[in-house]
Amino acid sequence: MKKRILSTVLVAWFSAVACGTSGSAAQAQGTNVNPDAKLMADFRAKVDAYNKLRNDLAAGGPKLKETVDPTAIGEAEKVLAAKIRAARSTAKRGDIFTPATEALFRRLLRPQVTGTADAAENKTTIKEDAPKPQEVPFKVNGEYPKEAPLSTVPPDVLKALPALPENLQYRFVGRHLILYCTRGNLIVDYMLNAVPS
Amino acid sequence: MQTHTRPFVIAALAAVLTIGTLAQELTLPNQKDSLKFAVIGDSGTGNTDQYRLAKQFASVRERFPFEFVLMMGDNMYGGETARDFERKFEIPYKPVLDAGVKFYASLGNHDSPNQKMYKLFNMNGQQYYSFRPKQGVRFFALDSNYMDRTQLAWLEKELASSGSDWKFAYFHHPLYSSGGRHGSDTALRDQLEPLFLKYGVDVVLAGHEHFYERLKPQKGIHYFISGGAGKLRKGDVGGEFTEKAFDTGFHFMIFELLDDRLHFQVITDQGKTVDSGIIERRKVDTKAAPSVPAAPPAKPVPPQDKAPTISAPR
Repeated sequence: MKKRILSTVLVAWFSAVACGTSGSAAQAQGTNVNPDAKLMADFRAKVDAYNKLRNDLAAGGPKLKETVDPTAIGEAEKVLAAKIRAARSTAKRGDIFTPATEALFRRLLRPQVTGTADAAENKTTIKEDAPKPQEVPFKVNGEYPKEAPLSTVPPDVLKALPALPENLQYRFVGRHLILYCTRGNLIVDYMLNAVPS
Repeated sequence: MQTHTRPFVIAALAAVLTIGTLAQELTLPNQKDSLKFAVIGDSGTGNTDQYRLAKQFASVRERFPFEFVLMMGDNMYGGETARDFERKFEIPYKPVLDAGVKFYASLGNHDSPNQKMYKLFNMNGQQYYSFRPKQGVRFFALDSNYMDRTQLAWLEKELASSGSDWKFAYFHHPLYSSGGRHGSDTALRDQLEPLFLKYGVDVVLAGHEHFYERLKPQKGIHYFISGGAGKLRKGDVGGEFTEKAFDTGFHFMIFELLDDRLHFQVITDQGKTVDSGIIERRKVDTKAAPSVPAAPPAKPVPPQDKAPTISAPR
């Protein structure tokens, strides 16, 4: 009986090692890897890095906390935005929405906004509430103007795109997609023509 | 009549007529131990229309002491400086705020998410939240601008734990609307309606459309749109869903909950009542499959002769 258990464990161990090796080999050769999954993982890692940076900078204060004084809210937002700009002074368009990520996002978005009645509804929702491109300066680390509305992002669209951590959101400006930091009220990155015309 | 006295007579007559139209009656029972609350939507313009309605609002509060106010979003159009918060919120609603009334805001597409940190909006630092003002009654304030997986999961958990409470959900974008400009948000409806049905939400309130609309009950749920506390879009409402609509003036709503009956009244900036009624609570077994008995339409309530009068100085 003992022998049988031992042989089963050994077989399982050898199989696992063999699978791991062949998986690593395939990865090394660039085969057998879902390219979309890799892009998603890359995107997620960049977003997480931004999130950590922002949270670390926010921890240094002034803290954004509940208050009856709107000046304090605006001040905390501005100070944090300034710190983020300084820490990301070399950030540029495409750092997070790389060309490959943009292509993936367009593919993910297309069925949500074209081809069916529901998709057409989604597109209308985006169009109705989104500010016009001239209302928002497209600039990485740029402030999102308080005078401009924030687009509604239909639930289907949010389901199709990779999930974001708290205080980071997808928003549309015209047909363009921005990655919006709610804490610092700034544009982290953006991709043009995300929604087909 | 002598010619020189004529303008005075006309002015006096006009004043009497004006007072007549402004004098309004409460159709709600206004009982001592009931739960009383009000609703405003799309209020934050800071213009004279908002102020005029706010004056009426404060006047009604003197006679009908509502404890809190639900805000349907677009609490702040345009800038959001400290001056804006004063001009578009603190000054117009000062009498009500000073009386200790709490405002519970939801966010509209014109609102910065950081409004959640503004204490007078009572959002507790959250873009969506629930609160229970009294045993057996629960309110769910949602962020309909950004209904992501996290919020949907939170909502389901909250609804599931709300048991047999009266359930009110409110947020900016209407799931059903006869508005020509926006209309029903069907994508949002696809996500929320199944949860509302499953867990027996009774009443859903929204804004976004700049008018008042009471919709025919949809699958047993009562829907209201109240988005005319600061902006107005005339000639935009009316259609298959409409039970009652009003789009020629600004308005707010008042509610009174008495056991299984919810009384409501809609009052304009002129102090006129444009809709009122009673919603009887339906019985929903949330443990059973979500087959929901059809809700009867709200019963209209005629103004009561002996009800207190609301005067509305302009």
